[in-house]
Amino acid sequence: MNAFKRDKKEEEDGGGNPFQNMEKTTVLQEARTFNDTPVNPRKCAHILTKILYLINQGEQLGTTEATEAFFAMTKLFQSRDVVLRRLVYLGIKELSSVAEDVIIVTSSLTKDMTGKEDLYRAAAIRALCTITDGGMLAAIERYMKQAIVDKSPAVSSAALVSSLHLTSVSGDVARRWANEAQEALNSDNVMVQYHALGVLYQARKSDKHAVTKLVSKLTRTSLKSPYAACMLIRMACKLLDEDEGAGELYEFVESCLRHKSEMVVYEAAHALVNLGRSGSRELASPISVLQLFCGSPKPALRFAAVRTLNKMAMSHPAAVTACNLDLENLITDSNRSIATLAITTLLKTGAESSVDRLMKQIATFVSEISDEFKVVVVQAIRALCQKFPRKHAVLMNFLSAMLRDEGGLEYKAAIADTIIAVMEGNTEAKEAGLAHLCEFIEDCEHTSLAVRILHLLGQEGPTSKQPSRYIRFIYNRVILESASVRAAAVTALAHFAASCPPLLPNVLVLLSRCQLDSDDEVRDRAAYYCAILQQQNDPTLLPLIQPPLLSIPSLEGALRNYIRSSMDQPFDISQVPPAQTVEEPTQTEILSNIKQQPRLTREESFMEKLSQIPQLATVTRDCPLFKSSAVCELTESETEYNVKCVKHSFANHLILQFDCLNTLTDQLLEDVRVTVEPPEGYTLIGEIPCPRLAYNEPGTTYIVLEYPKDIQASVATIPTTLRFTARDCDPATGIPDAEQGYDDEYMLEDLEVTLADQMRGSAGRGLDFSAAWDAAAARGFSELEETFALGASVTTLEAAVRSLIGFLGLGAAELSDRVPSGTVGHTLLLGGVFRGGKQVLARARLALADEQVTMQLSVRSPDPDVAELITSSVG
Amino acid sequence: MGLFDRLTGLLGLKKKEVNVLVIGLNNSGKSTVINHFKREDDRCIDIVPTVGFNVEKFAFKNVGFTAFDMSGHDRYRSLWEHYYKDCQGIIFIIDSSDKLRLVVAKEELDMLLQHPDVAGRKIPILFLANKMDLPDSLTTVKLASGLGLDRIQNKPWHIRATNAVTGEGLQPAIEWLTDQIRDIYINKR
Ligand SMILES: Nc1nc2c(ncn2[C@@H]2O[C@H](COP(=O)(O)OP(=O)(O)O)[C@@H](O)[C@H]2O)c(=O)[nH]1
Ligand SMILES: [Mg+2]
Repeated sequence: MNAFKRDKKEEEDGGGNPFQNMEKTTVLQEARTFNDTPVNPRKCAHILTKILYLINQGEQLGTTEATEAFFAMTKLFQSRDVVLRRLVYLGIKELSSVAEDVIIVTSSLTKDMTGKEDLYRAAAIRALCTITDGGMLAAIERYMKQAIVDKSPAVSSAALVSSLHLTSVSGDVARRWANEAQEALNSDNVMVQYHALGVLYQARKSDKHAVTKLVSKLTRTSLKSPYAACMLIRMACKLLDEDEGAGELYEFVESCLRHKSEMVVYEAAHALVNLGRSGSRELASPISVLQLFCGSPKPALRFAAVRTLNKMAMSHPAAVTACNLDLENLITDSNRSIATLAITTLLKTGAESSVDRLMKQIATFVSEISDEFKVVVVQAIRALCQKFPRKHAVLMNFLSAMLRDEGGLEYKAAIADTIIAVMEGNTEAKEAGLAHLCEFIEDCEHTSLAVRILHLLGQEGPTSKQPSRYIRFIYNRVILESASVRAAAVTALAHFAASCPPLLPNVLVLLSRCQLDSDDEVRDRAAYYCAILQQQNDPTLLPLIQPPLLSIPSLEGALRNYIRSSMDQPFDISQVPPAQTVEEPTQTEILSNIKQQPRLTREESFMEKLSQIPQLATVTRDCPLFKSSAVCELTESETEYNVKCVKHSFANHLILQFDCLNTLTDQLLEDVRVTVEPPEGYTLIGEIPCPRLAYNEPGTTYIVLEYPKDIQASVATIPTTLRFTARDCDPATGIPDAEQGYDDEYMLEDLEVTLADQMRGSAGRGLDFSAAWDAAAARGFSELEETFALGASVTTLEAAVRSLIGFLGLGAAELSDRVPSGTVGHTLLLGGVFRGGKQVLARARLALADEQVTMQLSVRSPDPDVAELITSSVG
Repeated sequence: MGLFDRLTGLLGLKKKEVNVLVIGLNNSGKSTVINHFKREDDRCIDIVPTVGFNVEKFAFKNVGFTAFDMSGHDRYRSLWEHYYKDCQGIIFIIDSSDKLRLVVAKEELDMLLQHPDVAGRKIPILFLANKMDLPDSLTTVKLASGLGLDRIQNKPWHIRATNAVTGEGLQPAIEWLTDQIRDIYINKR
């Protein structure tokens, strides 16, 4: 057993790798051998390989080190050893970005690329392009043009691909060499033709008209190279997606379904099913192609087909069902990746009755597939739970079994996420889910995941049927785990104590033990919670245990302002906007493991931008940005000028941000402003013009308004006009004529300031609505109640809920935005904050009769004007 | 030539290999000179300005030369020094009709002679007063004094008027260099 372990370890260390444990400095020392005369090719090739290995392992070379190694390497050009020379080309490519003066090898490489040794030519071209900068381009242009039309396919391909790479050095390379590329397009060689098409496309890329011409010309000839044909399909589809050239191109792509190369056929099928415009009629023929491929003896074709079907299963489930029989045949495929995709596709499209059978099938090999595909399975299960809530027991058991298996963090996190999502959507699943997660953290090696689960237990456990059963699991963590897990466990315990009074005495005992912990954070938390919890039974203490998640940068700013003030008023935390809750995309793209970056909220990132503008400081200095609206278009698309507006609400101010774009090549706009007529009650504080707006370069101008004192007047319509000084200019260079410009204006759409612009929804899972609702009455909030009949466009309860939330800008509490299907009455619970930090609670009782929704709306707020504004704007 | 190579191989007279560095201002004729030394079937037909350097090989009197033909353009002159250390001979070419830039050539020569990888070594330097065919080209005597060659104490040197296009003067010049190299490096070993 021990011996076995050692073997395994060695294997992980890279056992048979002759290059293991190499040291950079030693290898670079050895590279001095390159300077020896005569050159020893075998020895030098070995050393150069080591250098390449190190660089590819991610070893960083300093400029001096790299330059020294590079120049030593240049001496190897004196050797005629073919292997060594080709290694030198690789070395040049790797070192070219770090070493200095790499152009020293230009002549040596041009000599090789034009020389007699065919083995050198293509590789020399590729190396040459990595060392060429804008200044050197002219010196190699002649050779490159010759190489593109060279009769050796390898040389021609290398030159074409290198031209593409060189576009990053000089944008117009492709255009300058387009004639040669055009000639290469006639090549008999499949690669050359493909690469030539790539260069021709690059040359025309920015000119849609030219691309259209190229594509329609080529669709009429028949390209010999299947690679080129695939590329042409992609080009055609891009045009189709942009609504260019419609019918003819579509027919071309469809005709490719009958191409003699399987690759092209697949590409066409894949393109057609992914084309935005495809309806079920258009899908029929590509699907039947994919269906055919499902039965192919070639694993690559089966894989491609099933992977495409899997992706489609979400968007076009009905169309995919046509292939169910073929997919059934693939679930026992010896290639496990194919089998996994087939099963998960069936799970997505199949009926409820087949779930058990398919899950059993998956279970037979789930341990054999890689984590990446296990995540695919987990995602399919997640989709299933949404589709068939009644199946949650089977699926939960499966998930918990997967949780017990070996697996990396990403895989485990996907499972935990799915369990959490299932619990959220289905109260019946909650108890089982929590139990599985408890069991999992008993033996969880991923700290971050353990911390998340403990947090979740603290949130959800107290409202479960039997909260006490979780205490033991949580306290075990305090005894057994690392400091960060212990700290999370302490917080979870405190949540139980705060929300379940019967548990308080016991938890206090546990927490006082935690005060003896060796870690500062754990002790601090325990001491803090003990101190608060000992004051017992004061409901206002709850937020101190479960603080709302606030936007940290805004909180910091608000506190800094507070310290600068006289501090005679208590700090008002309700001014601070909440942190971004990272919404999980509900339909995660399968196989794309895009990591969610921690991001700033919209408000945080806008605030960062706004606070950099000195003229806005009077507003932004003293007050955090409360809410930023969605973008509203003030122009129709495809007009000369394009103006979009974002409304930024502060406690008493409104900053209007107008993002403008000039789409006229022959005009330069100067002193660009959007002027507004302030509606009644509003005061215009200032405007910041945009000094110049050149063709296609976005620019921004701002208006600052003060909200009316009378809150009722804040919902208003603002007429807007774009004003500027226009100057004619040369479309090619953008340089304006010498003549004076002329003033001009351009009418824009009206801008609406709405209730939602001034309201921030905050409710979410944390809010116990009925407690808050009662507390509001107790604290003397004013209440308004009115009954409405909703308009004819709203015919279902779901639609009523959706439009009400959108209109009011409030957030739904206790998942009350989910309307159970088939009901005729529903209560929507809403919470939020009006600018200036005024709390708002609302309860909407909805009833459906004869496609007519009636609503009784009750609003509670400390400010009667706010409550009034809400009821009056609904009516 | 091929036959001769094989014979010397059979007789155990293995060819000795040496590196020489070919430097001088741009357009002085370095690449043309080296091209002339190469076997006729190896020669390039048109010579373009060198960017960086080129390695060329030729043989003379049973010595195999590896010549580093450096670019003389001012952007690249500072890079010559990377190749000083491992050369056994230097060919310094001057365009003898380019009076204007003689001072520049002298400056480069001074830098070469002072360089730590060159200064203390007994390394033969062959000066070629190239383009002798051009009207009012300077004589070797004038060039030698213009470049201050008599200062060179510790290195064998030699100056010769040449025409790289016709090859005139090149044969005796390379012969001198070969003999020097043979004396210093090969026979001594
Ligand atoms: N008239 C004349 N022209 C020469 C002579 N040697 C070289 N050239 C020309 O001078 C130019 C530069 O030569 P090149 O070998 O490229 O110089 P490099 O920059 O030193 O390598 C070319 O046009 C040659 O044909 C020579 O002896 N006489
Ligand atoms: Mg040259």
